[in-house]
Formats: sequence, C-alpha cells, structure tokens
Amino acid sequence: MKVYTKTGDRGKTSLFSGERVLKCHDRVETYGEIDELNSFIGMLLTFLPKEEKQIVSEIQNIQRVLFQIGSWLAVTPDSGYAAQLSPLDPAFIENLEQSIDQMDQALPELHSFILPGGGQAAATAHVARTICRRAERHLIRLVQNEKPLGKKTEERMAITQIYLNRLSDYFFILARYCNMLMDIADIEYLPQKKPADTA
Amino acid sequence: MIHKEYKTELTGVRYLSAATYEASFTRPKNFSFLPGQRIRFSAKTIQRDYTIVSGPQDDRITLCIHHIKDGKFSGIFASTTPGTQFMFTGPHGYFRYFPSDDQAVFIATGTGIAPFVSFVHDHVRGFILLHGITGPSEQYYKEQLISAASLYIPCFSSRLPDRQNTSAGFHGRVTRYLEKNLPSGKYHFYLCGSAGMIADSLPIIDERFPESKVFIESYA
Repeated sequence: MKVYTKTGDRGKTSLFSGERVLKCHDRVETYGEIDELNSFIGMLLTFLPKEEKQIVSEIQNIQRVLFQIGSWLAVTPDSGYAAQLSPLDPAFIENLEQSIDQMDQALPELHSFILPGGGQAAATAHVARTICRRAERHLIRLVQNEKPLGKKTEERMAITQIYLNRLSDYFFILARYCNMLMDIADIEYLPQKKPADTA
Repeated sequence: MIHKEYKTELTGVRYLSAATYEASFTRPKNFSFLPGQRIRFSAKTIQRDYTIVSGPQDDRITLCIHHIKDGKFSGIFASTTPGTQFMFTGPHGYFRYFPSDDQAVFIATGTGIAPFVSFVHDHVRGFILLHGITGPSEQYYKEQLISAASLYIPCFSSRLPDRQNTSAGFHGRVTRYLEKNLPSGKYHFYLCGSAGMIADSLPIIDERFPESKVFIESYA
C-alpha cells in the first residue's frame, strides 16, 4: 500500500469520527503532539542500555498507550465513533506512579533544579518530558474550547490529562535515572553570575 | 498488537466478470469481524488485505478480488484447487458503518464495493450508492444492492459500445456525479476504492457538502 494518498494535499484531513477539518485544527495539533512525543520516545529507546529490559518494556507500553490516546483525540467527543474505543484504564496511571517511585528510591535526593541534559538517553528523556507537557497544555485547551462535554467524555479526558501529567514526571525521573545508570552526575542549577562578576 | 492467525480452506471460486472473481472460504469458528473490516494473507514477503464481502453472521467468508494480469498475489486463489488451506490474520481496519439521521452515501470503485455488500448483509438499508465501473459487466452484487439501496447509480467511466449504451446508470465518473447530480446537503460519505477516486472526491465533498462526514478506505 502506498504511503501517500494525496487526500490531505489541500490542508484538510478526516477525523476518525468523519469530520473534515483543517490540519491546524486544535484536535489535529494535539494528536500531532502525541505523535511527536511517541517518536521522541522511540529515539530515547535507542539510547537505553540493552540490559535495561524492564524499562524498555515499560516504555514500549507507554508508546502503546499513547497510540490509544491518539485515537481518542482523533474522534469528536460524544460521537458514535467514540463508543467504539476502549477507555483509558486508570491502572496505566498507577503503573507510571509505581515506576516513578521505584526509580526515585534509587536516586540521590534532589535539593535544587537540575539542568536538562547529561547522557543521550537522559537528554532525550528531558525532550520527551517537555513535549509531553506541551501535549498536556494543548489537551487542556482543547477540552476547555469544546465544553460542555458529556459526562463520560469529561471523565475520559480527565484520565488522559492525568496520564500525561504523570508521564512528564516519569520522564523527569527517567532522565535522572538514565544519568545515574551511566555514572553521569546531574548538574544542579545555580543562578548565572553577572558578566561583570565573572571578569 | 499481534493479530491472531486463523486457518481457513478455500471452498470455491466464481468469476463475477472477466477480471474479477469471488473466492469463498470456510470461516474459522472463533473468528469474528465487523462489516467493513479486512483480512490479511501473506506469501513470503508479500501481504495483501481483502475486505470481507460476506456478513458477520455468515458461515463462509467471501472476498471480491480483482485479478491483476501478472500480479504477484491476486490470482493465487483463482489458480488453487478448492480444499487448499490458507492462513490469514485479522480482522483489520476501522472502516465501519455508523447509523445516522444524515443520508449515507456509499461511493466505490471496482472491487471497493466489498464493504458495502457486507453492510447490506448486516441489514444496512436506505443508502445512496455510486459504483464507479468501466461497464455494466462490473455491476457486482447488483441485485442485492438495488434491493437495499434507496438509490443505486452505476457510474460508467468508459465510453460504452452503442449496444450497451442503454444501460441504466450514469455515464461519467463518480466524481462527476458528485459535482453535478447529488443534491446539496449534509451526508455521511463512505468512500472505498482507488486512491485516485478518493483524492478527487474529497475536494468536491469539502466544497459542495462542507457539513458532511467522510469515512475512507483506500485501495492504494
């Protein structure tokens, strides 16, 4: 099957629920960000040590959940199509929390902000964290703009929002954890001295 | 997600036109699908998806296949003895019918008629159907579709020989019918067939029927 269908050449696309919308529609922007996040996660996976099988499997599960979120976002709320999709299981949030706690226990306590970076895996995890935050902000805007929503949709969007919020925390901890695995120390943030002071 | 693999047996082949045939298979006991979904066959590195023509309650699975001359896969069932076993995965795809107060318009080219026949097996009625074909010999499942549709329009894309020119239908492509004949309104369009037909139909739908919904299955 050819990758190019030419159906989007005029700047419009079809949602799963059938509506024709501009590609700059808030809904398309939001699931586009989820796709961007998922792609960065794919890159992150290539930088992880191969022996970290549990983290790799955990991250691949996150990629699957993000696909599910993408499907939800490609459907107009309360449409017939929405009823066909399985709701996001709140257990996914609990899984993230457990992983965060597990990694956090192994890490030295943090007393200040850290500079995003370190090894390739950690730096990519920080990028994933920021894209995740952006997707979360966009989701909130989308939900606000489309209110009032049905009760079920409100609940589903709330779970998605919580999941994205927790996921960005997960990537923050994962970044630190990856640096720790590679014996790279986090660099704490210290206010930049005035140029005159450094002369 | 890894799709489950099923074993099936070819039970028969019948030609619907010179280049298109219907292949029938046994239906594995635990295999279920929704009308509009596809199954996937593999041979070495080649994979081909075919939309199921039969209904979800039928005992057999039938497929409508355009036999491409020198094609790598499309002739495989036509040249195989009934009783031969095949493996397939599925069901695949999200092309489904959603009941609505808005008029449903099904648009197909060639064997893209397959999901709409499956819809009919699943008791979908009252739709408008535009079937883009080269001539009357390609009006597959005509009787079934006529009895279920509120309006059945074969759209003949080739200039027909005079003896066939009396055939009831529209002489022109489905896109031409959309542009000139379908009254303005809000519809649920279901498009299945060639990528070219779909790419050409969408701008017309966007312009003439902007409030409509569109569901797409492309046979690229």
